[in-house]
Amino acid sequence: MTFKAWIKTITLYDLLVGMKTTMSHMLHYKPITLQYPHEKRILPDNYRGMLALLRYEDGVEKCVGCDLCEAACPSRVIRVVSAEVPDEPTKRYAKEYYMDMTRCLFCGLCVDACPVDALGMTREFEWSVYDKRQLHLNKEQLLAIGDRSFPVREKQLELQHPNVAFFNVAFKHLPQKPG
Amino acid sequence: MTEISLRLAVSFAQILAEMSIVMVTVATMTYFERKILGWMQDRMGPMEVGPYGLLQPVADGIKLFFKEDIIPAGANRAMFKLAPVLTMVIAMIGFAVIPFGPDVSMTMFGMTIKPFVVADINIGVLYILAIASIGAYGIILGGWASNSKYSLLGGLRSAAQVISYELNVGLAIVGVLLLAGTLSLVQITEAQAGGFWHWFIWGGRPDGFFPIHTQIFAFVVFVISAVAETNRIPFDLPEAESELVAGFFTEYSGMRFAFYVTAEYANMLLVSCVAASLFLGGWNAPYPGTILEYIGLEQLAWIEHIAWFTVKVYFFLFLFIWLRATLPRLRYDQLMRFGWKVMLPIALGNIVITALTLYFFPR
Repeated sequence: MTFKAWIKTITLYDLLVGMKTTMSHMLHYKPITLQYPHEKRILPDNYRGMLALLRYEDGVEKCVGCDLCEAACPSRVIRVVSAEVPDEPTKRYAKEYYMDMTRCLFCGLCVDACPVDALGMTREFEWSVYDKRQLHLNKEQLLAIGDRSFPVREKQLELQHPNVAFFNVAFKHLPQKPG
Repeated sequence: MTEISLRLAVSFAQILAEMSIVMVTVATMTYFERKILGWMQDRMGPMEVGPYGLLQPVADGIKLFFKEDIIPAGANRAMFKLAPVLTMVIAMIGFAVIPFGPDVSMTMFGMTIKPFVVADINIGVLYILAIASIGAYGIILGGWASNSKYSLLGGLRSAAQVISYELNVGLAIVGVLLLAGTLSLVQITEAQAGGFWHWFIWGGRPDGFFPIHTQIFAFVVFVISAVAETNRIPFDLPEAESELVAGFFTEYSGMRFAFYVTAEYANMLLVSCVAASLFLGGWNAPYPGTILEYIGLEQLAWIEHIAWFTVKVYFFLFLFIWLRATLPRLRYDQLMRFGWKVMLPIALGNIVITALTLYFFPR
């Protein structure tokens, strides 16, 4: 042990350096905590939250019942029952559409797979429930989520981002990142 | 009312006042520990209960009071119930000899009362050492009576640790006792009157001689050993969360758990009071006399004395929290090696050097 190391040992130098660090953190107090229910963090642009079914501008469902989302889903969340549109034999739609959100891992593959962009990922994440059965959603519930998450349906090309897995999405009503 | 019952009544009133001061301090300590720990780790600490979480100690107390009291099936019931009470009582009665304020006497009901110390006995330091040693029994008994391997390991570790560091505390105090020539905490504090350099941590002589009697090594040994004795981080091996769940009080719940926690904080407060009295001049201000005396308010000088004592005690309490926020836990062999091979020789050497300097340069 050199003399310098010995002096450092008997003056508890290393200990004091550590205590200086904690003290400086206390004096320059800048907490990274967000008091969650009272204040919420601003989500990133390509945040993948709750899934939703979308409509066209005139209110018609986009989904054509092609089952591609069901095929793409790795966790078998989606079940689609396809049917012909009454009086229009060339068109099809999803007669029933179920999502078991207890199994969803929010990978976004179904949104990528959809050929008509009928699926979207919203920014909703506060979906904790007391009864697990409330997370089995049918078509009406999914459409309602889409309606309340994307109230503006016209295309806003300036808001399109290459990482966003869906188009026709307006973020104006949500808190934006500053700058 | 006979005289003996009057005396008892006055003593009970004093004990009640002192107990309530200690309990209130413990409650505020639990709050400020979490707050300061949070600030040092870039968190906020308790924020939900009351403004800035100020009512958190009350909420904790109510919660623990109404919790179910669980006694494990294999536990020794009598011992299991006795252990937290023992720990709590021992932690509380140590405060009897701590002088919170100046050594003034007042006459009330025809008898002399010392308002700022419950019992001014002439073996105060010895009393505190003895009481602190009994405190280990509460921990060991609790660990053994729980009939759980974690509790038992915690209790055993505590036994070894407390015994090792008790020795260093005792030896570190000897230097102060040599300087003061008394075991009474009141007289030790009075011997340090006269300003900053007369505190025993510097050991300046009353005639202003070079502070050759400095007890700073004893002070460092005392503080480190005190942290170890109160089972605080970085010496919290008896209740190591990551290894032993909660150590000796793993099986305790409800009010018994609260007793252990309260006792831990009361012990912190006790060693802080002892360190302030022995090394930092107790209720003496860092300047001669008091300001209130200079401006002609001799009757109110005790307020300034108590304020200085409070400042010193809270400095130590802050140091405890600061250390907890900074340091990781020691390994068991490191703890033992540090206690026996580093602290003990320093404490012994301090006694020899203090004795020699006192012989050649008497106070």
